[in-house]
Amino acid sequence: MSWDTLLQYKWGVMTPEFVILGVATVLSLIDLLMPNDKDRRPLGWFALAGVIVALVSLIGLLSVDRTSILNDTFRLDAFGKAFKFLLLVGASLVLLLSMDYKPKENMKYYGEFYYLFLTALLGAMIMTSSGDLITLFVGLELLSISSYILAGLRKAHRLSNESAMKYVINGGISTAITLFGMSYVFGFAGSTNLKKIAIQLSALQDSSQQYVLALAFLIMFVGLSFKLASAPFHMWAPDVYQGAPTPVTAFLSVVSKTAGFVIVLRLFITLFASVPSQGKEPSSMLLSMQDYIAFLAGATMIIGNTIALKQRNVKRLFAYSSIAHAGYLLVGFAVMSWVMIDSMWFYLAAYLLMNLGAFAILQVITDQSGSEDISQFAGLYRRQPLLAVLMGIFVLSLAGIPGTAGFIGKVHIFIGAFATEPAHYVLASIMIATTVVSYVYYFGLFTQMFFRPVAAHESVKVPLGVMLVVAICALGTIILGIAPSLAYNFLDQFQHFSDFLR
Amino acid sequence: MMENAWIIPLFPLFSFLILLVVGKRMKETSAYVGIIATFLSFVGAVAVLIERLNEPTYQATYTWLTIGKMNITAGFEINPLNALMLVVVSLVSFLVHMYSKGYMHGDERFSVFYAYLGLFTFAMLGLVISANLLQTYIFWELVGLGSFLLIGFYFYKEEAKAAAKKAFIMTRIGDVGLLIGMILLFWQAGSFQYGDIFAAVKAGNISGTMVTLCAILIFIGAIGKSGQFPLHTWLPDAMEGPTPVSALIHAATMVAAGVYLVASLFPLYEASSTAMLTVAIVGGITAIFAASIGLVQTDIKRVLAYSTVSQLGYMMLALGSGGYVAGVFHLTTHAFFKALLFLAAGSVIHAVHTQDIEKMGGLWRKMPLTAPLFLIGTLAISGFPLLSGFFSKDEILVAAWTHGHIVLFWLAVIAAFFTAFYMFRLFFLVFGGEMRSEVNVHESPAVMTFPMVVLGVLSIVAGYMNTPWFGTFLGDFLAGEGTHAHEEAPLWIMVVATAVSLAGICLAWLMYGKKSLARDWLSSRAPITYNMLLNKYYVDEFYTVTVGYGTKVLSVFLQYVDRFIVEGLAHLIAALTRAIGAIGAKLQNGQVQMYGAVTFIGLTILVVILAFTGGYL
Repeated sequence: MSWDTLLQYKWGVMTPEFVILGVATVLSLIDLLMPNDKDRRPLGWFALAGVIVALVSLIGLLSVDRTSILNDTFRLDAFGKAFKFLLLVGASLVLLLSMDYKPKENMKYYGEFYYLFLTALLGAMIMTSSGDLITLFVGLELLSISSYILAGLRKAHRLSNESAMKYVINGGISTAITLFGMSYVFGFAGSTNLKKIAIQLSALQDSSQQYVLALAFLIMFVGLSFKLASAPFHMWAPDVYQGAPTPVTAFLSVVSKTAGFVIVLRLFITLFASVPSQGKEPSSMLLSMQDYIAFLAGATMIIGNTIALKQRNVKRLFAYSSIAHAGYLLVGFAVMSWVMIDSMWFYLAAYLLMNLGAFAILQVITDQSGSEDISQFAGLYRRQPLLAVLMGIFVLSLAGIPGTAGFIGKVHIFIGAFATEPAHYVLASIMIATTVVSYVYYFGLFTQMFFRPVAAHESVKVPLGVMLVVAICALGTIILGIAPSLAYNFLDQFQHFSDFLR
Repeated sequence: MMENAWIIPLFPLFSFLILLVVGKRMKETSAYVGIIATFLSFVGAVAVLIERLNEPTYQATYTWLTIGKMNITAGFEINPLNALMLVVVSLVSFLVHMYSKGYMHGDERFSVFYAYLGLFTFAMLGLVISANLLQTYIFWELVGLGSFLLIGFYFYKEEAKAAAKKAFIMTRIGDVGLLIGMILLFWQAGSFQYGDIFAAVKAGNISGTMVTLCAILIFIGAIGKSGQFPLHTWLPDAMEGPTPVSALIHAATMVAAGVYLVASLFPLYEASSTAMLTVAIVGGITAIFAASIGLVQTDIKRVLAYSTVSQLGYMMLALGSGGYVAGVFHLTTHAFFKALLFLAAGSVIHAVHTQDIEKMGGLWRKMPLTAPLFLIGTLAISGFPLLSGFFSKDEILVAAWTHGHIVLFWLAVIAAFFTAFYMFRLFFLVFGGEMRSEVNVHESPAVMTFPMVVLGVLSIVAGYMNTPWFGTFLGDFLAGEGTHAHEEAPLWIMVVATAVSLAGICLAWLMYGKKSLARDWLSSRAPITYNMLLNKYYVDEFYTVTVGYGTKVLSVFLQYVDRFIVEGLAHLIAALTRAIGAIGAKLQNGQVQMYGAVTFIGLTILVVILAFTGGYL
């Protein structure tokens, strides 16, 4: 490849990625040259500025048509734009949180948090835009490896170390399984380009070959369910969430999970939608694998919601709740209605707002009390009525009560389960039943806050950054709950992601 | 102003929110918050009405939720009926807010009372500008909540608690009908919007039987809310609430919501003669039924309550007879004179500290403002010539006559006679004769009498909105959209109405004023009838025996079903859920190898299924 061809590419479509990469590099240099005793928090503001610049440049790119560069390994299409938007918004809120994170023991090395955070974000962004198995995998690993380190950032904290260790080991297993599945696909197609693979695979007529391909489908899906924290690869989540620094937990449960759904949608729809399959009705392999995904979705919802009932540690509680939400999202994927991506995007947006809001308050409470027990929330309404009411809004939204974004998100996924032919009654009823189960632990938190005697009497000090996150999330949760059409108007410009496969 | 009409209901809502937060600290100054808020609403409502006089109907909609191909909208509408109702509701509410400052003076929960009033006024104003059934239903329930809170305001009194509960349950029975009717209509017309529903009905997209069914189901909701027979029993009991509440909710606004609902869905009712006839019959029966009970009651507020039920029956009768203008007209005038009567009754109760009319008397000289105002209200409701009630009642009789419900017409005439009689019986017993108790009576303060004066003036002049002699302004305004032209009425109806009203007044005067007729000349001859009336036709007892007892028997049976089957199942499911949770938590033992093993086992299960099914489930 000559220098001239390289210059001909429209590098402009990668502006957000370049911004993040540049800021991460500069931050690592500054951190290196800064005297050891200097406070690293200003670096956080710099990182936040970088993310916001990337967000602005992404908004500038919204009107750009589908473009692919570098031999179709990087593509900017509606899908990439919409989900990158979520990733960047989520990342900027988490950054705001991280600057006010002050655990009881003094964390010495904080500078690397910001640039590792940015590289993790960069990996997630590459995943949304990649058109090739190689870039997809490199993005995934960039996200994973950065997160492993982030989870263990509290070096003096035993649980944090344990968390990082478990995360690495499970991540290794996940990578191995995913790559093993991908190798089958590569073997059939002889290419790593997603579009070329899709064309090759769609010519696959031999039923034994299809059988092996279905095996590859399952292996890849199980491997990737690590990132979704869904069954059967969910068990790492509670331990890792509990030990990791709270902003990292927020990042893992929101941004990293969104990236996981991005790769699942991108990979499986592109590769398998046009593969013939000789099921009951000769249709695509993607549709014939629906029931497996539905099975996993049901299992995820049941596991997440029932085990959450037994938790007293709030961070573990939210870990199981995040497993349950992955289950609801998988319902959206499993039913494969024609508005699948729209409804999953909306659910992820709602989940981002309500979950980050909840984590912001959780961080303040656990930091100040030094304990993560649920009893720390007792009587919050008497100590800090506003904070309790806001937490109440997030919890109601997570539970899916009307008037909140969480409700609208659930309704759309639920309607999707009926809108397809045949309708998925069993899956929909599992969703309803487990949602009811989830009320028990969500309202348990509620009773703690509103009806229990006060746990501690000193008033809760809410730092500015956290207050900002909470305010943005609460506003977003309510606005999307009352006027969901705002989000849908935003999605309208993507026309149901019709340029996804082109 | 019309495009900003949505702001009108928000003032009382703000009053509610402010008082909820800082009411405790504001104590009695909270009255000003409520008074100012409702005054602003009133000004806004008047501005909207004036603008609407010359301009077409304004409608604003906004898509709230899109589910598949269905759009659920939210919005508001300013048509003649809504504009008129806005003014009536906000005016009465404003006056009641003002009056309450004197009446509730010294109450411990003063600010709470004003907060509730704000909530109720918000809901009622929201109800009248709703442009679709769903929104109407939401506000309808909010209005019910406001009413529940206010009836039970003296919650330490057992009767008040029971009355609040009864009101809530009785109206809820009606609401079930409304909800089913609403959903059926949505299913049939594909929209909650009034305009779309009427268009669908007009185009014949909905079968006749379905229209009748929906109309009657929705009317059941109206029966509950407007205290029509047989769901009327909650309204007299609701008099346990503070008297200003009775004036606002149980005379002028909420109970009129049922009539308003039928009026705003009038095109739907017009499409079904069966539904119209049902409305008319229920209205007629209620009118005579409640009026006859009113003849013998001895509690000042209960007499007024039964007269409210009876007058609401009149309005339903008018609507059912196709007298759209007549019904709305009577709704308006009734709001004024009944609010006046309740406020005046409140003023009397405030002075003598009893509600028993047998213990009152001789108040004419002691209460120089309240007494003449009460007289004005009494004359107006009795249909005394040239006062507001005369014109609106005449209009209803004309509607009943011209549309051929001959029996209903005569029922209405008899009810009018009863009304004149029991209202003047009340008046003579309270204000005439000699004082029958030892209380030092004072006239109420100006803050209470001023609202009464305003309502007194309106009770006299409101009738001239629509008269056969000076012009039918209201009729023309309301009919601007439809085709409800004023019918040429036979003159003799007016004569009969006047005669009946005067006869009632005379009889009352002879029995209770001049006392030339013994009070028990009739009741002693027909003791059974008298006892039946005194016990309100035993409707409550009937409900207690049939519904109450029947429910009890059923509930004992269901209790066992519940305990052993339902609860057993629930326990089973809960135990199962807990068991899964416990097993899952036990698996979560912190060992990484366990986590990896679970993943592999999961993958293996999937692969085995794939192997056995050959890849296709």
